[in-house]
Amino acid sequence: MLFDPSILVPHLGFLGAGALLTVEACALALLGSLAVGAGIAMARTSASAALRKAAAAYVDIFRNVPFIVQLFFFYYGLPEIGLYIDAFTTGVIALSIAGGAFASDVIRSGILAIDTGVIDAAQVSGLSRRVIFTKIVLPIALRTSVRPLGSVLINLILTSSILSTITLNELTGSAKIVAADTFRPFEVYAVLLVIYAALTYAVSIAINLLHRRQNRHLGGEVA
Amino acid sequence: MRYADFTWYDLVLLAQGLGVSLGLFAVTSLFGLALGTVWAVIRYYGVPALTPVIAFVAELLKNSPVLVQLFLVFFGFPAFFKLNVTPVEAAIVTLTGNTAAFIYVVAVAAIDSIGRDQIEAARVSGLTRWQVLRRIIAPQAAAFAIGPLIGLMVNQLQVTSLISVIGVMDLTKIGAILNLRTLKPFIVWTAVGLLYYLAAKLIAGLGWRLERRLSAHSAWRGL
Repeated sequence: MLFDPSILVPHLGFLGAGALLTVEACALALLGSLAVGAGIAMARTSASAALRKAAAAYVDIFRNVPFIVQLFFFYYGLPEIGLYIDAFTTGVIALSIAGGAFASDVIRSGILAIDTGVIDAAQVSGLSRRVIFTKIVLPIALRTSVRPLGSVLINLILTSSILSTITLNELTGSAKIVAADTFRPFEVYAVLLVIYAALTYAVSIAINLLHRRQNRHLGGEVA
Repeated sequence: MRYADFTWYDLVLLAQGLGVSLGLFAVTSLFGLALGTVWAVIRYYGVPALTPVIAFVAELLKNSPVLVQLFLVFFGFPAFFKLNVTPVEAAIVTLTGNTAAFIYVVAVAAIDSIGRDQIEAARVSGLTRWQVLRRIIAPQAAAFAIGPLIGLMVNQLQVTSLISVIGVMDLTKIGAILNLRTLKPFIVWTAVGLLYYLAAKLIAGLGWRLERRLSAHSAWRGL
């Protein structure tokens, strides 16, 4: 049998719809991860020891339990407590919670790398703690950690393929259907592998451009 | 008639699943370590034709979802090459390849971390190429690589949970079976998550002890 990827041509529209769903889920999960990550990072760098410990425990748990177990926990568990939400929402929530644990590590090191003089100056200027965090600490921390946050995003894209196990027909889920329809699983999955690699490659190029743009004032210091 | 309560036998099932997960993790980590190291050594000697192929394959494996790689091996290979592939064989092949791709990166960095002057000095002193690799490069590269390797191993343990999707009776699959029978998702997935968590901590702890031994030569001994 010859390798013939052209059998995929009639199914491109269907796969495109799946890819769109993957992009949507990843975009929402990225926002969710950043929100969760910023919150956890704030707790991990706070002055309260209890808050620091709780946040560290969160990161420890969600980094050391496989994502598929977390996903099943939410997908099968939430209806049990009367929350009936669809697979897409469950997937985005699970991705945000797990991604948030990874993002918080990145944002935390971004916060710790901030020159303390900047914070002293803000305090002397009479800014409130909330304003200092949202207007000074967070923007600086997010800007310097564009590149590591980019690897969190790439991991989110790869991890989102696991959402196909909870009946969500994103890119991998659609490919499974196409493979069953055409009886050509080798072509379908080989092409899918290359699509994912190309997608993450494109994202990493975009991240590098964004990183350079955001840190252009540093003049190559953070090359 | 469905027997929905938990029984003592369920603990045996969970232990069995954990054994399968840990066993496959150990086997594929060892194979992956060997394969990834061989790839890095091939790169080190700059074997023509092979080096760019290895770099490309490693990049492809690192930047695509493990789930898609599993589907390609389990569904694609039998259809295309007319082979019989059992779920366990597919899991071993896929996880070995995936682990090797990540180990390749660590091993390349570890080999590059050793100064050329050391290798030149060793060659001038009359050591053979094999002796240089065995006596000069390997011990120092191992001490350099052990830190990143521990993080990688903890991550690869979680990746093994994906083989449940192609029907390997690992810990996650046992969790899915118990979940369907008892319909108590919170208890089942918490127990499964806890077992993964403890296994991850065990691997991290063993790795830490190994790291201390490998870097004993450079440890601070006091004055």
